[in-house]
Amino acid sequence: MDVKDTLIQFIQHDLIDDDQPINSDEDLLTTGLIDSVRVMRLVNFVGEAFAIEIPPEDMTIDHFISVDAISDYVASRKS
Amino acid sequence: MLLWMGQQLNPRSPLYNMAFLFDLRGVFDASAFQLAFAKLLEQNDAMRTVFRISDGEPQQLVLEDFSFELLVEDWGSQTITDVALTDWAEQRSAQLLDLEQCCFDSLLIQLSEDRWLWYLNQHHLITDAWSVTVMYKAIMDYYQLAIDGKLDEAPVLPLFGDYVAYEAEQRAKAKTAAHWNTKEVPRALPRLYGFRGLETSSQSVRVPVHMGLERTEQLRALTTAKELRSWTPHATLFNVFVTTLFTYLFRTSGQRRLAIGSPAHNRAKPLFKETPGVFIELFPLGIEIEEGDTFLSLYKKVRTEVNSFLMQGQPGASTAELSRSFGAVLNYIHAGFPVVEGLEMQSHWVHAGHCDPRHHVRMQVYDFDQTGEIQIYFDLNVDVFDETLRDQAPGHYLRILDAFIADRDQFLVTPALTAEAEQEQWLKGFNAAVSTSAPALLVQQFEARVAQHPQRLALRCEEVEFTYEELNSKANQLAACLKAHGLQVGDRLAIHLRRSPELLIAIWGALKAGVAYVPISWDTPASRVRELLSLADCSLLLTSAERAQANFAAQQSLALDREQNWWSDYSNANPEPAAVASDLAYIMFTSGSTGQPKGVMISHGALANYIAYAKDKYTTEQRATFALFTRIGFDLTVTSIFTPLVAGGITVIYPERETGPDLAVLDVMRDNQVDIVKLTPSHLELVRAGDWSHSRIRVMIVGGEDFKASLASAVAATFPSGLQIYNEYGPTEATVGCIVHQFQPVDLRKGSVPIGRPTTNMEAYVLDEQGHLVPMGIIGELYLAGSGLAEGYWQDDERTGERFVPHAFQSQKRMYRTGDLARLNTEGELEFLGRADEQLKIGGIRVEPGEIEAQLANFQGIEGVAVELWDQSPRQGSEEVQHCSKCGLPSNYPDVTYDEHQVCNYCQEFEGYRQRVEKYFRTLDDLQDIFAASQKRKTGAYDCLMLLSGGKDSTYALGQLVEMGYKVLAFTLDNGYISQQALDNVERVAKELGVDCVVGSTPAMNEIFVDSLQRFSNVCNGCFKTIYTLATQVAVEKGIPIIVTGLSRGQFFETRLTEELFRDDRLDPDAIDDIILTARKEYHQVDDAVKRLMDTSIFEDGKVFEQVEFVDFYRYTDVSLQEMYIYLDDRLPWIRPTDTGRSTNCLINKLGIHIHTKLEGHSNYAFPYAWDVRMGHKQRDTAIDEINEPIDLEEVQQMMQEIGYVEPQPATRELVAFYGGEQPQDAASLRAYLAETLPDYMIPTRFQHLPTLPITPNGKIDRKALRTLDLEERAPQTYVAPSTQVEELIAGMWEEVLGMEQVGIHDDFLALGGTSLSAIRLMSRINETLELDLSLGLIFQEPTIAKFSARIEEILEELLSGMDE
Repeated sequence: MDVKDTLIQFIQHDLIDDDQPINSDEDLLTTGLIDSVRVMRLVNFVGEAFAIEIPPEDMTIDHFISVDAISDYVASRKS
Repeated sequence: MLLWMGQQLNPRSPLYNMAFLFDLRGVFDASAFQLAFAKLLEQNDAMRTVFRISDGEPQQLVLEDFSFELLVEDWGSQTITDVALTDWAEQRSAQLLDLEQCCFDSLLIQLSEDRWLWYLNQHHLITDAWSVTVMYKAIMDYYQLAIDGKLDEAPVLPLFGDYVAYEAEQRAKAKTAAHWNTKEVPRALPRLYGFRGLETSSQSVRVPVHMGLERTEQLRALTTAKELRSWTPHATLFNVFVTTLFTYLFRTSGQRRLAIGSPAHNRAKPLFKETPGVFIELFPLGIEIEEGDTFLSLYKKVRTEVNSFLMQGQPGASTAELSRSFGAVLNYIHAGFPVVEGLEMQSHWVHAGHCDPRHHVRMQVYDFDQTGEIQIYFDLNVDVFDETLRDQAPGHYLRILDAFIADRDQFLVTPALTAEAEQEQWLKGFNAAVSTSAPALLVQQFEARVAQHPQRLALRCEEVEFTYEELNSKANQLAACLKAHGLQVGDRLAIHLRRSPELLIAIWGALKAGVAYVPISWDTPASRVRELLSLADCSLLLTSAERAQANFAAQQSLALDREQNWWSDYSNANPEPAAVASDLAYIMFTSGSTGQPKGVMISHGALANYIAYAKDKYTTEQRATFALFTRIGFDLTVTSIFTPLVAGGITVIYPERETGPDLAVLDVMRDNQVDIVKLTPSHLELVRAGDWSHSRIRVMIVGGEDFKASLASAVAATFPSGLQIYNEYGPTEATVGCIVHQFQPVDLRKGSVPIGRPTTNMEAYVLDEQGHLVPMGIIGELYLAGSGLAEGYWQDDERTGERFVPHAFQSQKRMYRTGDLARLNTEGELEFLGRADEQLKIGGIRVEPGEIEAQLANFQGIEGVAVELWDQSPRQGSEEVQHCSKCGLPSNYPDVTYDEHQVCNYCQEFEGYRQRVEKYFRTLDDLQDIFAASQKRKTGAYDCLMLLSGGKDSTYALGQLVEMGYKVLAFTLDNGYISQQALDNVERVAKELGVDCVVGSTPAMNEIFVDSLQRFSNVCNGCFKTIYTLATQVAVEKGIPIIVTGLSRGQFFETRLTEELFRDDRLDPDAIDDIILTARKEYHQVDDAVKRLMDTSIFEDGKVFEQVEFVDFYRYTDVSLQEMYIYLDDRLPWIRPTDTGRSTNCLINKLGIHIHTKLEGHSNYAFPYAWDVRMGHKQRDTAIDEINEPIDLEEVQQMMQEIGYVEPQPATRELVAFYGGEQPQDAASLRAYLAETLPDYMIPTRFQHLPTLPITPNGKIDRKALRTLDLEERAPQTYVAPSTQVEELIAGMWEEVLGMEQVGIHDDFLALGGTSLSAIRLMSRINETLELDLSLGLIFQEPTIAKFSARIEEILEELLSGMDE
């Protein structure tokens, strides 16, 4: 399963308890879909699932606003 | 559980009651609501929870069989105001709930046909704010269903029990727990508005902070700004409130390291958002505000901190300690009550009047009713915030919030906190004492007195007496004489005379002639007298015959002695008034901070203003006899010179003695001739012990330095009752005194006697760094204005411009910046807090020495206290360094001693165990055996991995291994600073030998260097660990069974071996290997930069060392230096590097050596090189040369910048209390005594007894002399001393091993600089002494002497009981 699928699955099943479909470019944050406490669960998940250390400075809206953005961020940390 | 404990600690206080009053308007069906309430109870397990104690433990029970009848009261017959309603609700909510029976209280009230109130109060143990909104929604849903008769169709509410199960599952994940355990949160609560107490009650008052819709909208608009944007608009707003609350705490306390507690709402799953119950846990947000921080820079720090808070604020992670680690709480609630159709509702969150007593400020931010306007309330602890402050505090916060909105790039210190109304209060209330007309000049006042009572006694000096007329005649004659000598108004006349009748003649003569006098005290050294004469450009010097011949200056000097009366030929009539108010009366020279004397120019007008005040305040017609006994060059003395003579009193003069210290104050007291004395607190210390019950002194005017209330009180008790003691504050620049307070017994509570209020025609302001008035209680710099201000500094316009600045509030006027710190207390009196430039700070927290001094001064038997921050300069080898004649170990190495042949103690001791050390070393045959045995672990191509630095030792070892026929993989770390020549060597040698070479690196290298510098003051430790980490990874990856190091034998002794290991003559080298292996495992567990930043998972269980064995090549071969070089030259293309400047191959080494030498006093190479010499691997001279090689500081600076290392403060500073008194006091008792009233950080680490405190000639405590006292001899007393035998024994060993003079029993081994090597040394000694076989790891499990000793005692007890059986 690629990075985006992994993320979408986690968000659907663990964060929003709702199997509503999510597009990879969908705004997760400003729409209120995910609040700031849950976004931290997402950050944690990203760190663990993709084995990267995410320093607090990197925890920004730009890196986590959508599945695409997260996937880009993961790629940049992996390289 | 934390809340339950909190309630048990404050059993009578409703501090955890959370009450709401819902004001409902519209058609309302009370019986349907009662049904709905019953349904809510049935559905909501949290409400049915009670707490009962069983076996001493609190048990949380959910009762199935629970009934509560929601009563309905009809108040319809009475008209009730909103205020009355609030009062009722507050009183009702303050009732304690019986947690064993029911954790809530509720009532329904009918006010009118269409207005109802629902009151609901719940204990915080079962609810949080969010939960209340959930319950409200639920009950309103049930209410609708009940009206429709469909209540049995009600949906099920999620159970709190489900969360409890989830929380237990999540609880305290190791990583989260570790985060909070290690998080540094400042323990000291900010002292808001100068609050000084330690204990506070739980009583608090809720005050509104009026946000308004406009401000709310401005804030909401901010959430879209890109640079502020956080996860969600709510998160952004939260960050803004955190930032502004931090700023508010900083501005009102002056403290920079701050913490705010905030609840983590813990409703991490959608289901939990609909579950009633208490989810929140409080966690601290910690921040350090730095110089130059703007709102935006602070905001960014806050945002990062909040992220970490959100990440780590996990269910169950809070602890009692954490939740008590802050004095401020921010509660940002974004839940709201839903709108119910047909029913208007307004909610009131009722404050029960109590909070956790540690929470001095709680800021509640919410919009429960979703009006769109954010509501903010401050819950303010009443002990910290009195009524005035409670009125003002919201305004102070709002000015900060507005400043953030207006310009977030401004500095945090920029915005003014005070409102115009507060400024008015200063201007019109505080500085109100103004006289209608300026007082007459002194000459006129004096002459009027002479006319009034010419024969009255004016002065007495030993046997000599002068009447007013006699004094006046002589002064007139001298004035005429001065004029005859050509002196004119504005000229300077130096007066260098003893305190004598002639002194007063000279001064009055000068004033009458209109020339400015320059007083020079009698004890002033001749060179200084010359300097002052020339600085002031004096036209004439009046002195005595003996000194007139001293030929002070080119200027003319006249001897004014009693026997000679050469000026008696001049007219004795009053001269025409010469000077006007603006002409200079005197120039007083004080020593400036730079050492250059500065001349303060005081006008006749300023002088008259002060003396007029002094006369009115301190004298009466019958009581105006003063003693003149202090130095004339000190402006304190001005009071005694002039006041008696314009008040019709007598000046009793006490001349300086020829020799010995000036103890005239004792003469004054013994003589008992005067009513009034002007003196310093240090003078009072000299007299406090005597019996002065018959003294005629009625008034004491105390000035010159901080005046402790305990001293005032002691003096008041020694003298007859009715003594008036005035504390008079004033710099020379504002003419003697300009703020005065009369001591009252109640001042004892304040520590120091306040300085009080401004004198007539004087003004005082306390301003912040930006020149804004500070609110009451807050410390700022004291500024003075009014008619007593000096004209400026003599011939120093620059300094005058700096200190005499335009008036902040009135045009055309000037203010004087005193450089003194002060604050206005709640009684409206100013308190003096010391010099701004001598402000003491420890760990970023401002410490007020005056406060510590005041407390300590109350201790029985202590007379006189001074608290100073004492700078301990780093140990730097200032003396000439010696070297051991054998190994070259330098004398700056700690604890080194030499015998008569200049042989060091290490060499001497080594002779005793040299042979045993030999046993540790092996042969190449042994090495081959190890290789043979390792073959079964080998899973790849290589027999071993060789750590190749490119230096001679490792290159030689590599060559040998290859020649022995092994397949070697070379591993080199490129740390970014390896010399090019070394890298070339590596490449050439590998190629020549046909060896594969891996060059490892890590992006974390610089951080590792910094960490290593911080921990060990060198770079090598970090670098070594990086090498071991990377090399082990490579070895594991490639199935290599052995890692070979090229450490020299000297380095063994630096890193692995200690003499303790060889003390036992039954030495078993295998046992040493085991110890080293254990140490190696611990070494990789230390939480340092390597562990944090690199992947160290392979070391987690220590099993890796079963796979990969470490072998030190030089344990198996003994090769002389010469042999080694011959081999390298003949056999390998190895070139000795020239670009590192020493035999190392690493450039950053220089930085490490520089820092180590600077901080530890010796080079980190001193010890291993000495061992290399001892082992015959290095020449003594080479070693000494290399240790002493100079280091290019510029290069070092550049490297520091590159890696991001900031040098620590050059000195370690500690708070030292110097105290006088007959007996030295027990330091522990003093500490315990202070701890009753002062926070930890204000308790001095040392208490130094002195028979008397040193005093300057002016009679002030000589702080400079104190700071330079040599305390080196005395052991630091920061610590808790050992109290049991075992603790003493262990402490002794710690001290030896760590090389410290004294170690407290609660100090942490690692924090004190303990390493795995020192752990080996320590554990060896302990095992040897106690004949035990403790594992090395024990010191890491029980890292303090107290804990360690407790374990030892347990073990010993077990052993003993085992013996009994």
